[in-house]
Amino acid sequence: MSGGAFEHLKALIVEDNQHMRILLKSLLNALGIAAVYEATDGEGAFALLRDKQPDLILSDLSMKPMDGIAFAREVRMSKASPNPYIPIIMVTGHTERHRIEAARDAGVTEVLAKPITAGSLFQRIGEIVNRPRAFVKCTDYFGPDRRRQATDGFAGPFRRRDDFENDLAIR
Amino acid sequence: MPESQTAEVVPADRYKPLLPKGRREAALAMLRSGETLAKAGRMVAMRRAELRDAVLDLVDQMDLTARGGDWPAAFAAAHEIRGLAATAGLTATGRIANGLCQYLDAVEMLRAVPDAAVAGLHIDAIVRSARTEDDTARHGNAVAEQLSALVSRKLAEIKG
Repeated sequence: MSGGAFEHLKALIVEDNQHMRILLKSLLNALGIAAVYEATDGEGAFALLRDKQPDLILSDLSMKPMDGIAFAREVRMSKASPNPYIPIIMVTGHTERHRIEAARDAGVTEVLAKPITAGSLFQRIGEIVNRPRAFVKCTDYFGPDRRRQATDGFAGPFRRRDDFENDLAIR
Repeated sequence: MPESQTAEVVPADRYKPLLPKGRREAALAMLRSGETLAKAGRMVAMRRAELRDAVLDLVDQMDLTARGGDWPAAFAAAHEIRGLAATAGLTATGRIANGLCQYLDAVEMLRAVPDAAVAGLHIDAIVRSARTEDDTARHGNAVAEQLSALVSRKLAEIKG
């Protein structure tokens, strides 16, 4: 099978552990993504993002001086970000709920828990390919729609402009 | 509804996707194919020995820093271990390291102080598990479960 589907993509890995970077790069290479850039923290990654214009980011959470949460927020909210819509997969050993929520609220697209497998990484990439999500913009958030499933009987709070437009249309 | 509290939605067709529609089917087929997964598996297997060495280095670092009383450094090493160990074939080691990290995180959220004995038991178990010549996961997993039960009791004590 050819690598045609992915071969033109460029990826950015943001990870301070050298072995994890090599592992992630190997998995991306297996998909046919040959252009893989690497950074060891958010600051270096943001510079590469502007310079190399990747199509996909795989980012660790815990890094210094700029961690993955701050980096994701910068990518989404900064006026200097070249692509605030870029898919970001946070690859992290942190599985605690509050950290996953922090990553979600920083605007990451998908979260992948370490230890990673090829199947789990490819499944997340598949979600991004198959179900590109709407983005939500408000004063303190810009990122993928955090509503991943419709909840029947949701009674609010309704905060989106289209929630009100839909409500008015129904009335 | 105050203007400042409303949000705008940008539909997915209003920004450049990762792949255009015309390439999605081929991409999904590739992601799901046995051939791709096998290739990825081979690439990971090629790295396994190197990953195992890296985990053992981290274990040594964790052991040394814990003995020196540098708990933040020891816990940082445990966090790295939990992320790499299973991929390196040290599944039980990774489980125990994950248990330690989750305990420390839970204690921090409760604004309490970690029990040094609990942390020490985990670190000893991580060291023993990783240094076993062949990772006898059955024994290591039993230890991981016992430590998990200990942590649950300790956290229940803190919560009162």
